[in-house]
Amino acid sequence: MTLNSNDRNADQRSYFERFSHYYLLVPGVTWMALFLIVPLLMMVYVSFWTQTTFAIHSELTTKSWVTFFSSETYFGALLRTIRIWLTVLFFTFLLGYPVALYIGLFVRSKTIQTVLLVACVIPFWTSFLIRVLAWRPMLGKEGAVNLVLQKLGIISQPIEVLLFTELAVVIGMVQIYVVFMVGPIAFMLSRIDGSLLEAARDIGAKPFTTFRKIIFPLSLPGVTVGAIFVSVMVLGEFATASALSGRKVNMLGNIIVTQVGSLKWAFAAVIGVVLTIVIAIIITALLRLVNLREEL
Amino acid sequence: MHHLVKARWALAAFTALFLIFLYGPFVVMGILSFQQGPEGGPQFPIIEWSTYWYEHVVGIAPASRIAPLPVGEALIRSLTLAFATMIVSTILGTMTAQAFRTKFKGSGFVFYLVVLGMMVPGVLLGLGMSLVAHQFGIDRNWWSTAFVLHVVYTFPFAFLVMLAIFNRFDSSVEEASLALGVSPRRTFQKVTFPIIFPGILSAMLFAFTLSYDEFPRTLFTGGSEVTMPLAIYGTFSVEIHPNLFAFGVLTTLFSFALLSVYAILMGLSARRLSVRSTGIQEDAA
Amino acid sequence: MLELVDFGKSYDGVNAIQNVSFNVNEDEYLTLLGPSGSGKTVLLRLIAGLDRPDTGRIILNGQDITTMPTHLRGIGFVQQKYALFPHMSVRQNISFGLINHHSSPIRDEKKVNYLCDEMLDIVGLSGLADRGVGQISGGQKQRVSLARTLVTKPKLCLLDEPLGALDANLRERMTVELRDIRTTLGVSFIHVTGNEDEALGMGDRMIVLDKGCVIQIEEPNKLFAMPASVKVARHVNSYNILSGSTENNSFVFADYKLPMAAYAKSAAFYVVGIDKVTIEKVGSVKRKAKDITSFEAKFVDAEFMGSRVVYQFELADGQIFEVERHLSRETPVDYKAGEVRCLSWKAADVLAFASDGGLINENAKIRGTV
Repeated sequence: MTLNSNDRNADQRSYFERFSHYYLLVPGVTWMALFLIVPLLMMVYVSFWTQTTFAIHSELTTKSWVTFFSSETYFGALLRTIRIWLTVLFFTFLLGYPVALYIGLFVRSKTIQTVLLVACVIPFWTSFLIRVLAWRPMLGKEGAVNLVLQKLGIISQPIEVLLFTELAVVIGMVQIYVVFMVGPIAFMLSRIDGSLLEAARDIGAKPFTTFRKIIFPLSLPGVTVGAIFVSVMVLGEFATASALSGRKVNMLGNIIVTQVGSLKWAFAAVIGVVLTIVIAIIITALLRLVNLREEL
Repeated sequence: MHHLVKARWALAAFTALFLIFLYGPFVVMGILSFQQGPEGGPQFPIIEWSTYWYEHVVGIAPASRIAPLPVGEALIRSLTLAFATMIVSTILGTMTAQAFRTKFKGSGFVFYLVVLGMMVPGVLLGLGMSLVAHQFGIDRNWWSTAFVLHVVYTFPFAFLVMLAIFNRFDSSVEEASLALGVSPRRTFQKVTFPIIFPGILSAMLFAFTLSYDEFPRTLFTGGSEVTMPLAIYGTFSVEIHPNLFAFGVLTTLFSFALLSVYAILMGLSARRLSVRSTGIQEDAA
Repeated sequence: MLELVDFGKSYDGVNAIQNVSFNVNEDEYLTLLGPSGSGKTVLLRLIAGLDRPDTGRIILNGQDITTMPTHLRGIGFVQQKYALFPHMSVRQNISFGLINHHSSPIRDEKKVNYLCDEMLDIVGLSGLADRGVGQISGGQKQRVSLARTLVTKPKLCLLDEPLGALDANLRERMTVELRDIRTTLGVSFIHVTGNEDEALGMGDRMIVLDKGCVIQIEEPNKLFAMPASVKVARHVNSYNILSGSTENNSFVFADYKLPMAAYAKSAAFYVVGIDKVTIEKVGSVKRKAKDITSFEAKFVDAEFMGSRVVYQFELADGQIFEVERHLSRETPVDYKAGEVRCLSWKAADVLAFASDGGLINENAKIRGTV
């Protein structure tokens, strides 16, 4: 009601209208450019700066890069990160797919489907860090898992490798991220037309053949989207690793945190760039399999 | 699929085990939050059932060697930050999605630029932002550097929600309003906004919860005044006590309260719409 | 009052509208007939300002409004699917344009209510003001949509197939009501439709649109009696159109040879109104009669359309020839399928069109071309 004065000049107004979507884009794009693109470019730039004990100088050098690739600690962290990522990805798929298959394909009632999916999402209503910490009393030497296994007589001595090991980190991550695998796969499976499966049965296809030839290929976009989610989150992780390994298992993320803590900005930036490249390669490879914009 | 009865039962059993795996830690956490205090540790067996740790969290337990969680200040900071993030993200998300209703050159680029915000791991963005702040001598605070990153993170979610909402939106009602001589801005206020409001609520809910729980970005850029997730992260290095479990149970309950408010609001707006749009539909074409 | 000059619009390189020029007079009911895909809705959206034309100008009361945004034009637009505001009651829908108008909003609630009640009365919805728009029927929605537009007193109102979604009874009632409402308010209407009866029956003038081009603008009765081209005759859907050639004052097509007036030496189309034909027993027509033309055809089927019956006959080449008889003039006759009858009409009722589709009239002037 207050903006009517603008309405006077019709031509000006129509010019504004014709390009109004660009005006609408300006705030969002500016925000992303300033606070997303600039920091990432800054990271690449700083990775070539000169690092002294407590300061950095803008003289360009590749010294930090050389240090990264020649250091057992840093390069080892890269390999460990990739190893943990692959393990977690494998187990989220192994655990997530059958669940998604059940929810998406075997449960035909929409209500039960929704209830099951909501049941999977509810844990997200607890703080991420609390969810990580909740594994401590589970996996410890006197933890719930050991307690139950001992009560059942399966083991006589508590298993000590459960907590503060890479295994603990993997277990924690799988539990936290498996839902991102279940969701997209279940979504793709629930879109499969039931008559397609009946047709397959009518022409005498065995259940496993039907699964291999029809169900699995149709669910593949869901698997890819799920894999993208899990990969992005696992590769950038550091909290789970530090909480469940007692700071023994260091992923690239953990190293960034400690480097920043000791003001080694250039090293931190190098690791950041390495991590970015790793993620970019993985995501690009996965995106080749599926068009994210269409699936969303 | 009656010939797959065995497979069905196997999968159902697997799903049940899966849910136990998913919920197990929470159940254990819930039980241990009633551990006796202040001597009882974060493990079995339960020495004696008590609500000591809940009292400890809210600050009414007698003083002990275990430092209380900085619940008050950190919680208020977290809620303020989440609220501000929610408002800005939802506005940006709605504006950008609105722009996407008309085809334009470079829409693919803008789409991926925005979605990148949720794809880039927090640790990278936090590092980048702290480098920028360090270089330009900007103070790092939860309400400045951390806030802008929270928006970078949640704006894409709000954008995607609103994009989905606008996909289902019938723009003929807006055109009707314009043809009645109502200005585009007023049309948005009076026609578009009320109709897309449920979608905006969802976008707000997304942005709020993501920001409230955000922590890697805040860790690097939040400065010395901690938010709630940072306060919890701070306990990682030291010995943990069941007060964290009590706190976990309380925050979960808080989340459910928030979710219930959202569900009630959605239910109300859905009912208001359905009163108007169902009912007698004699010869509707 | 409204003048379109050489309008054109294409989408993805396909022309939706080309070279459209016409004008609308004060206090006029203009109908626009075109099949689906002829660009009717596009044309209305361009006039309303919801889309911009690629070429041409649009002038309203002397002012060029080609680039003026929709809300400043003062042109009402009643959409095909009503587009009522789902979150408002009937009264809120109708008062919306009054309260929220960009330059002259009415803030006095009493006045708004008065205008609203008056309009509800005109469209016959007095008792339904407080209903939700989901609680009323399709015909009522249509009237709310109309009332919502008319209450803002537009200079010109565009109606996009306003009767399209209504059932036959309602349609007939609304036909009368629309005309009455328009006369009462003195607003000009452009009523777009795909139904030739609506276009012919309701308009003061009508426009025939074909593939995005205007092919004739005329008063309905004149247009109906004398279509400017074969295409118009086809759109009007009340003509039998036979295509062939003229030799020595005879029109030849398939196995038939029909007498043709001397002025139409170059006729390629022989056109006769379906209501001009009589059906008689074979042999009962005097073939020698100079002003009567006739041939024999096989009966196929009959279609009852309320007050009239359309009989379908098959000619030797398989083409269908229709005959419409009004029930007010005669009772319907049951013919057996395959029965051969003699169809006859006056030579004076025959229209001849040249090979380019233009009408050849008695003064040998071609009035319109494709």
